[in-house]
Amino acid sequence: MITGLDVGSTTAKIIRLDSGKLTASKVVPSHRWKELLEYGNTRNTIATAEAIGTVETPGTIQTTGTTQTMRNAQTIVSTGYFRKTVPHTAAITEITAASLGVRYYIPDAQVIVDVGGQDTKVIDLRNNTFLINDKCSAGTGAFLELAAHYFDIPVESLGKLHTRAKRTARINNTCGVFAISEMISQLVGGYTMEEVICGIHQAFARRIAQMIPPVETVVLIGGTVLNTGIVESFESIHGSTVVLPPSPQTVNALGAALYGEKLRPGQ
Amino acid sequence: MTDTVGITALIPPELVYACRHSPIDVNNIVPTSSINPRSKLCAWTAVWRDEIMEGQLDIDSLVVVAGGDCHNALVDGQKVALSGIPTHYFFYPFDRDPDYMASQLEGLAGFLGGIKDKEMFSNISGLKEKGLALDQLRVDDRARASDVFSALISFGDMQGDPAAFEEVLDSIPRTDVEYSSRVALIGVPPIYPDFHEVAESFGLHVVYDELPYEFVRLCGKDLQGLAGSYRNYSFSGPVTGRIDIIRQELDRRRVDGVIHYTQFACHHTLEDEIFRAHLDYPVLTVQGDLPRPSSEQLKLRLEAFSEMMEVMP
Ligand code: SF4
Repeated sequence: MITGLDVGSTTAKIIRLDSGKLTASKVVPSHRWKELLEYGNTRNTIATAEAIGTVETPGTIQTTGTTQTMRNAQTIVSTGYFRKTVPHTAAITEITAASLGVRYYIPDAQVIVDVGGQDTKVIDLRNNTFLINDKCSAGTGAFLELAAHYFDIPVESLGKLHTRAKRTARINNTCGVFAISEMISQLVGGYTMEEVICGIHQAFARRIAQMIPPVETVVLIGGTVLNTGIVESFESIHGSTVVLPPSPQTVNALGAALYGEKLRPGQ
Repeated sequence: MTDTVGITALIPPELVYACRHSPIDVNNIVPTSSINPRSKLCAWTAVWRDEIMEGQLDIDSLVVVAGGDCHNALVDGQKVALSGIPTHYFFYPFDRDPDYMASQLEGLAGFLGGIKDKEMFSNISGLKEKGLALDQLRVDDRARASDVFSALISFGDMQGDPAAFEEVLDSIPRTDVEYSSRVALIGVPPIYPDFHEVAESFGLHVVYDELPYEFVRLCGKDLQGLAGSYRNYSFSGPVTGRIDIIRQELDRRRVDGVIHYTQFACHHTLEDEIFRAHLDYPVLTVQGDLPRPSSEQLKLRLEAFSEMMEVMP
């Protein structure tokens, strides 16, 4: 049994692989990441919440002061921003996790764009290079959070509202702070909330498109791409074919679990 | 009387010593400086400028390497000059013209009061041979890259005392190095004081430091010899010349990947695209701004780069 645990800045995800087969997955807000271990536990798979600590050596969970071997020795591979804080047998970066996870579904994937809560990563699998935007909120989930917060609506509803727009309010700024004042002036100028949201998605997609090398197919992953408005805007702006893996939000957790398989073949 | 001569980039330190002065590469104090510069583009020049102008770095004169290198240094160097420090401007020929190079070296020697101790040329040439041997040691996995880097980067000024510096070189530990990937570090040197140690902690063995290698590669036993060698200072000429040298070194040193360090507000950042297009290796580009210990963002990139080279086919 291999567990992939992805604890990022916004959400935490878990994936279980049993002899190479995906058997369970779950997503919770990051601050509730311990629930994932309990969730696994009820399925008799993962370390108990009390045993939370760092798994330094494969097969052993290190809790404060003691090292105990788990009865059902688990391989937990963590990834995400908090990968080194949560229990793990091994920890890998989101970049490697995304590469492995996406390849599982799309073996000939070329470029991956992982839109995270606080950063955006572009991974070019053709030459194993990557770019990370973690300097500003432009092109990250935080930018959309800011817009949703302004309208006092859940961020999950942005995609649906986008589909109701009859036209697009042009938003030029991708800096969150400036974008808000631009949003306000477009609203004052007569655009509806839906049309402004559509404009926000376009600005977001333009920012991400700037980071991407010329390529035919782009694989989008991360919780943000569950927003269909983003995907639609991106497709129209970048001009490449966009592919989404079956579960774009948990693909990094899957990648972590696949890495665990490499460590512990046959588990 | 020996003067302390600040230098803002590579000039032949052997010439400064031959004129019986002691060079100090003003960049070497930057990574560990706590100064927050008043107005800045590149933090390298802004920090040494403020260190000098606030009297924290005591120099008698300054040689600004301007032509063929850095226009930020040219402006910040002039600010230092306006504060009253005798300042000389040194220009490399972009077209590598040996006569122009010789005339620049003659002008520099004139500013420094003329050549008085020709023996320093061969003394320093001997030290550079030691530097090249040290560089080879880490290529052969027998010395830590962080130790070798700190030695090579000091070849710009020999730490102000060639005899003492030779002892420093001799004391660098020989040790077998284990790593997961061999990488080259191209571009200007990182402003992070712990960069090489952090890279090592992620299993990256830096087997080539582009700029410090220039410090030991270029040499000469008299003024003409210096002109013939230093006109080929790779950073001062066309980028194609740099690419030729880099390619040769990447091959010779059997690297798995390339890290391109760029400095905020430095024109060399614009070369990133060129290197990516012309070097057939995985390339990681990182950027620094103010001198600080390596940031978490940088660590994530180095860790991911190391993993990608190891894990991904
Ligand atoms: S990093 Fe660039 S801008 Fe800064 S001193 Fe060096 S060459 Fe000049």
